[in-house]
Amino acid sequence: MDRRLISVIVALVAVLIIFVLVSLIGGALNENLKLEAVGLLRFAFTGIGLVIVFIIYWLTRTSGAWDVGTREVVYMAIGAALYAVFSYLFNGTVFAVPSVSQVALRPAIAIPMFFGYTFGPTVGFFTGAVGNMFGDALTGFSLSPQWSVGNGLVGMIAGMVALFADKKKSMNTVLIISAVLAAIATIIYALNPALENMMFFDVDAGIFGDAQITLFAGLSVVIGFLLVLIVRFAFGKNVDVAAAVMWSMLGNLIGIGFAAISDIWVNGFSPAVAIVGEFLPAAGPNLIFAAILVPILVAAYAAAQQQTGR
Amino acid sequence: MLVTWRYRKRKSLIQGFDPRAWVIFYVCFLASSLLFWDLRFLTPLLIIALMAIFTSGITWRETYRTWLFIGGFITFFTVLTFLTGRGGMEHYAEEHTITSLSAPFEILGWRPTLDVTVERIVYAVSQLVRVFSVSSMTVLIPYTLNPEHYGITFRGLGLPDKIAYAMELTMRFIPTFARDFQLTMDAQRARGYEIEKLRGGLIAQVRKLAPLIVPVTIHAIAGSEDIIDAMDLRAFGVGPRMWLEQLHYRRRDYVLTGAAVLLFAASLAFSLLGYERLWIPDWALAWAGK
Repeated sequence: MDRRLISVIVALVAVLIIFVLVSLIGGALNENLKLEAVGLLRFAFTGIGLVIVFIIYWLTRTSGAWDVGTREVVYMAIGAALYAVFSYLFNGTVFAVPSVSQVALRPAIAIPMFFGYTFGPTVGFFTGAVGNMFGDALTGFSLSPQWSVGNGLVGMIAGMVALFADKKKSMNTVLIISAVLAAIATIIYALNPALENMMFFDVDAGIFGDAQITLFAGLSVVIGFLLVLIVRFAFGKNVDVAAAVMWSMLGNLIGIGFAAISDIWVNGFSPAVAIVGEFLPAAGPNLIFAAILVPILVAAYAAAQQQTGR
Repeated sequence: MLVTWRYRKRKSLIQGFDPRAWVIFYVCFLASSLLFWDLRFLTPLLIIALMAIFTSGITWRETYRTWLFIGGFITFFTVLTFLTGRGGMEHYAEEHTITSLSAPFEILGWRPTLDVTVERIVYAVSQLVRVFSVSSMTVLIPYTLNPEHYGITFRGLGLPDKIAYAMELTMRFIPTFARDFQLTMDAQRARGYEIEKLRGGLIAQVRKLAPLIVPVTIHAIAGSEDIIDAMDLRAFGVGPRMWLEQLHYRRRDYVLTGAAVLLFAASLAFSLLGYERLWIPDWALAWAGK
């Protein structure tokens, strides 16, 4: 291990230790301290997310997928800037974004998926994480760094297809993991169908999380999963399109899942609320974008590549 | 072609500091204000933000669109949470009613009633102060940070060369892509495309966003070849990078960095002592009790 690596590890471990210490000392100073709702935990989860990213990188570091050359630097910047601009434009204040049955649509999520899949996990992570950060800054909403890391994970995992030699075989692994994740989330919904939809912004009442989650939003992950499967088999011959939708789906499930689960501690949600109220209405619609916009982008990029010969 | 943010050289407090020191201060400020809902701690942060704005040398003429957008946005959300009283529910358990206004008419047997309560007013004010401080400090950044210094600033903050350069490019690309998006939308409108009138089912609506998103994305990627070539020709990433601009820390920058760290440490300590929650002044409760 070279020195630089050791210093990165030491820094990450130090951050974690500080958070553990702070939560212990904080509890001793103030007994009424309810740690579930402390703003500080946002930063702790950002640290945990970065540690996860680092572990994945460390385990697969010999693969060339993580290399960053001139091209990757520019693509990182393009991806992040596009993601920021699109999330600003489609956040609902600039245009009226289409929404169907309580499901607000965030078309911007297709950007980290596409950039991750096409240009590799490093580009994907930067696109998601930095793009979300700048997008939040443009909007003027308060920052949620754990959601930035979650968005980064979406792009990074979509890009991990580069770690597999055979794209076609990798899809089977992805299919099984995604099916299990989608099934778990939907079972939790089936057990708690009466919870509120935390992601739904009720324009008439002006707040988040006003209404009970609709059947459509509750089943959106299953619908998205089926849609992705249809695209995967309809484009079975075009391995690129099929792999892109499959990996985007996995990235979305894990990345949004990370952010939603961290809200169990950050916002003091119960696990069921985090999954049913946050994960399903955010991850489900994202899958619809994964199934529709990502293939269009992949196909358009392939055509552009052919034309320019790069 | 790149479009730039509206930076220009000004004699001002912010631009008198090293950009690295200012970015550290900004991050600490942001993190501190996110910890609190208590007005007693949000007010000093608001004062800092106001000081930064009024000493920034940015004129109303330059920024009035931005301020109007932010102002409208914040007021809209504050009024909505005030009227419905639902947004603050997670912050307070009971409400003390001051007065209850009810409309002199009925709509289908329902009489619109507005309960003015101490908690709602305090929550609305806290939210206003909190969001205004955070967003106004953010607005200042593109106006006061010299685009030539983006890269060296992030490098100086400890990021690796390539990541620092990627951050610089990101900040430079954002206004460019916003312009490209506008151009694409105008071009599609000329062809009869209307984003305001998306019809059809969910899948049809999503598909209809493609004529906006795909051209902007592919154009950005295709256009980047020139930038990649230019960087490769200058041997980007071959060795440790040298930056054209140099930044030097002076005493005032150390003071600002120290103040920033102190601000964050104090905020952290107070939030752990339990001062982060919504604070309802006793005198307001006493007043409502009358």
